[in-house]
Amino acid sequence: MKHRSTSDTISIIVFLTPAVLLFAAILIAPMVMSAYYSFFDWKGLGEAKFVGISNYKELFTSELTPFPSALKNVFILAGLSVFLQLPISLGLALILGRGIKGERFFLSVNFIPVLISTVVIAMLWKVIYQPKGLLNNLLRMLGILKEGDNNILFLADGPKGHLLGSVIAPMLWQYVGYHMLLMYAGVKNVSPELREAAMIDGATPWQVDRFIVIPSMKQVIKVCVIFSVTGSLKSYDLPALLAGMRSVTAAFPSTMLMNQMFKANRYGMGSAIAVLLILMCFAFALLINFIFREKDE
Amino acid sequence: MKKFLATVLVVVMVLSLAGCKDDKKKDGLSGKLTLWTIAVEGDSNYPAYQQALKEMKEKYPNVEVKMESTQNDDYKLKIKTAMQGNDVADIFFTWSCAFLGDFVENGKVYCLDDMYKKYADKLPEAMCRNTTYNGKKYGVPLTMNVVTLFANLDLLKKAGYDDVPTTYEDLIKCCDALLAKGIIPFGCAGAANQEWCITEYIEPLIIKTAGADVMDGIFQGTKSWNDDGVAKAIDTFNDFMKKGYFAADDAALDNDTVKANFIAGEYAFYQNGSWNCGDLAASGLNIKACEFPVIDASKSKLGQLTGGPNDTLAVFSGSKDCELAAQYCFELGQLICKYGYLAGSGLPAWKVDYEAKDVNYLTAQVAKLVEGANYLVLFGDNLQSTEATEIYLKEIRKAYNGEVSGKQFAEDLAKAIR
Amino acid sequence: MAKNKGVYQPNEYTIRKGGKAFGIFGVVLLVLWSLINLYPLFWMITFSLKDNQQIQKTHRFLFPKGLPNEWHWENYKALDYSSLLTYFKNSVIVTVLAILISMVAAMMASYAIMRIQWRASKAVNRMFLLGITIPVQASLVPVYMICRSFGWLDTRWSLIIPYAAFALAMSILIANSFIVGIPKDLDEAAYIDGCSRYGVFFRIIVPLMLPSVSTIAIYSFLQCWNELMFASVFISSSEYRTLPVGVQSYTGTFTVKWGPIGAVITIATIPMVIAYILLSRKIQESFIAGAIKG
Repeated sequence: MKHRSTSDTISIIVFLTPAVLLFAAILIAPMVMSAYYSFFDWKGLGEAKFVGISNYKELFTSELTPFPSALKNVFILAGLSVFLQLPISLGLALILGRGIKGERFFLSVNFIPVLISTVVIAMLWKVIYQPKGLLNNLLRMLGILKEGDNNILFLADGPKGHLLGSVIAPMLWQYVGYHMLLMYAGVKNVSPELREAAMIDGATPWQVDRFIVIPSMKQVIKVCVIFSVTGSLKSYDLPALLAGMRSVTAAFPSTMLMNQMFKANRYGMGSAIAVLLILMCFAFALLINFIFREKDE
Repeated sequence: MKKFLATVLVVVMVLSLAGCKDDKKKDGLSGKLTLWTIAVEGDSNYPAYQQALKEMKEKYPNVEVKMESTQNDDYKLKIKTAMQGNDVADIFFTWSCAFLGDFVENGKVYCLDDMYKKYADKLPEAMCRNTTYNGKKYGVPLTMNVVTLFANLDLLKKAGYDDVPTTYEDLIKCCDALLAKGIIPFGCAGAANQEWCITEYIEPLIIKTAGADVMDGIFQGTKSWNDDGVAKAIDTFNDFMKKGYFAADDAALDNDTVKANFIAGEYAFYQNGSWNCGDLAASGLNIKACEFPVIDASKSKLGQLTGGPNDTLAVFSGSKDCELAAQYCFELGQLICKYGYLAGSGLPAWKVDYEAKDVNYLTAQVAKLVEGANYLVLFGDNLQSTEATEIYLKEIRKAYNGEVSGKQFAEDLAKAIR
Repeated sequence: MAKNKGVYQPNEYTIRKGGKAFGIFGVVLLVLWSLINLYPLFWMITFSLKDNQQIQKTHRFLFPKGLPNEWHWENYKALDYSSLLTYFKNSVIVTVLAILISMVAAMMASYAIMRIQWRASKAVNRMFLLGITIPVQASLVPVYMICRSFGWLDTRWSLIIPYAAFALAMSILIANSFIVGIPKDLDEAAYIDGCSRYGVFFRIIVPLMLPSVSTIAIYSFLQCWNELMFASVFISSSEYRTLPVGVQSYTGTFTVKWGPIGAVITIATIPMVIAYILLSRKIQESFIAGAIKG
């Protein structure tokens, strides 16, 4: 249908209306409000004072609102989830896709962490990270921690601790199954005939994966990358539960946002973080789209 | 600015009063009220609320009360959001000083001055100090709590001490003796987000070094953080850390675990709020509740404590029937106070006009301490403005990590807090 | 990531052995990873049967020492099942309605974007894409105000509509990827047969999009089911409370009884896991069936 008619215009409007309404009311309006308040010094109640871009300036210059370190942390997370978590998911999906016994069992089991509420995941990991907990015991058993060594203080918020890593690890782990399921669908999408034909021609399973399966999964991988990057940028639940919202070593943009908005009562500052976060997520989503599109041609 | 605020307040008050029903109800209260609290099923205060509400139902069968509870952290989010939307329960739980102050400043809270007169003989004026703004009362205090030094007497005995040392010098000797026996002196949660536990140590140290008036003045914004006493206190704390008075593992522990460790006999002392009395008394350990000794007698003395009435009920100015809510609020507050006290989750802000023999021995000891108290400085994270609190707690974290000297601590805060 | 270095050409390769060893290694890896992922369930269930002392003081994790010293079934007796059932019911209602609304809206929007040619379609699509990038935290207060002005506060709508909106972007993304797989010839043929846009949508697109339903549903489900922030701020009355908020109410400010918390999270999690295992075949099949692309 190459031509446009009035009836087309009407149907476009009709078809878009529900989505646009939802979108405008719940997503766009808050965004506009955030953008507006980001230029004010406002406690959330009472009068708001216009301050121009000073909230933004403070974010990057003041030691009290360590936005740069939050950015650094969130980029580490995003990088690890693209270059560590996704390859693991892909690897597992490829192994599964070769058709082994109990395929469905594995698929189901690996998805379970995604289903469990983050509150529970955080409780579990807190226990794992205890100074006398699973991880320290394991390290002692493996001889990595020697007799007389101090316990590793995973949840300590300072130079002696490993808070950032401790927050990131569960986030990476939790969503491996999620991406695996997505990628598995992509793997299974390759027709068995093509696979067989290649095998008969003498390709090893690895070669089949490398030259047939993975190239055909581009769309799925793109979606996974977008999800994991934007998901990382927005990550809130686990950092808030494991590190709280005040930590500098494990600051994330969303936890900083909540800390400024609702703990420090700096609504304008929180809004400024929100704006930057949204811009960042959008920029990355477009960038990823762009990278993958180029390879289409 | 203050004058302007006062005018705004008066206008708002008049408006909110006008919004209230005029017809006077005599004795039999009747109507519908909503109540927001943090006493969720798993909270230590839940039984006290339930008992108080039950008794209120018997006393005022015509008042229908709907209590809705939200978990502490979520509640803070909820009440702040709801205040922005002017959609709050008739009676709501709040923390005193800065937290309630923000709402009062914006005319969201109904003034309780008139209703207070009815209860003045049961509720000492001093207990309302933290919820009085511009000379007007806006809150009904429930329980009050102070930072208490809980000592495990059995462990002290192992180090050769039959009682808790009363002077600072003796306490230090005692700690060294404990260390020599392989016993960790103090338990203090230091994991991420547990800064409040660290303040339970640092604030008494500052008070006993620089004096309660200095600490109070600093928190209220009338004195500068840049004070020698503050610097000295932080250096003392750093010393404690260096000497190993705190277990290294504690840096990665939550308060729940530290408390469990204390109950399991891993530390000689645990300095935390008096709301722990009930649990600690029930642990079966031989514990004594006392106050941290004076460090600099020229500036401080015994009886200067950290704490005060904090848990509060207040009435929303947009309530349909403020007067009913106000009266109910006082009556309910009195009962919650009573049952909370009897359960060991704090000291009574209200006068005790009932049999209180069953109160656990630790709460009784803390009550004695408070009786002898001459200066109470409320917890820094409640007394300071919310914005200052966040800055303060971040600096507390640095002090705990040993990243700042006392002098730097004092200077940083003097510079950062407006 | 995926380097698209051209198409596979059979004659480039010779027969190679050694794939087998790698295969076994892979399977071992998979089994290990699966055990790790099963562990949270084991931990949760044993945790729910321990007493405070064992939960807090003895950190033993694996069989047999990770098992409760004594089996404290009374942890389960302490729970208020009638209210938990209400919370569960609310969660189901809220989630199902949110999924339905976002699914319908997404399919319609996807049709307009992908199947009707107009100049701004790509821009509109990109605008919707913006949706997956918006952090929920930023919108708490504005959404509260909006819900308030519609009178939705303290009703299930205050969760249904925002959840639907937040799930929308993802749903559209998925719907788009599915609609691409439906041959355009089908629409064209239908137009030639005299079908209107609406006719094509309902008679051809919707039936062929059915495999996407479970995909969209599961993504939306994951977003909505465990949501805590909106649910605790927008809902005050316990009769509309959702499961995560109900679970949260078992953790008090100071004194905490851990056993019942374990019990309540187990009760809240297990039905979902069972449902997933029962439905997993269906879910996975539709994943695969739906992913057909030209």
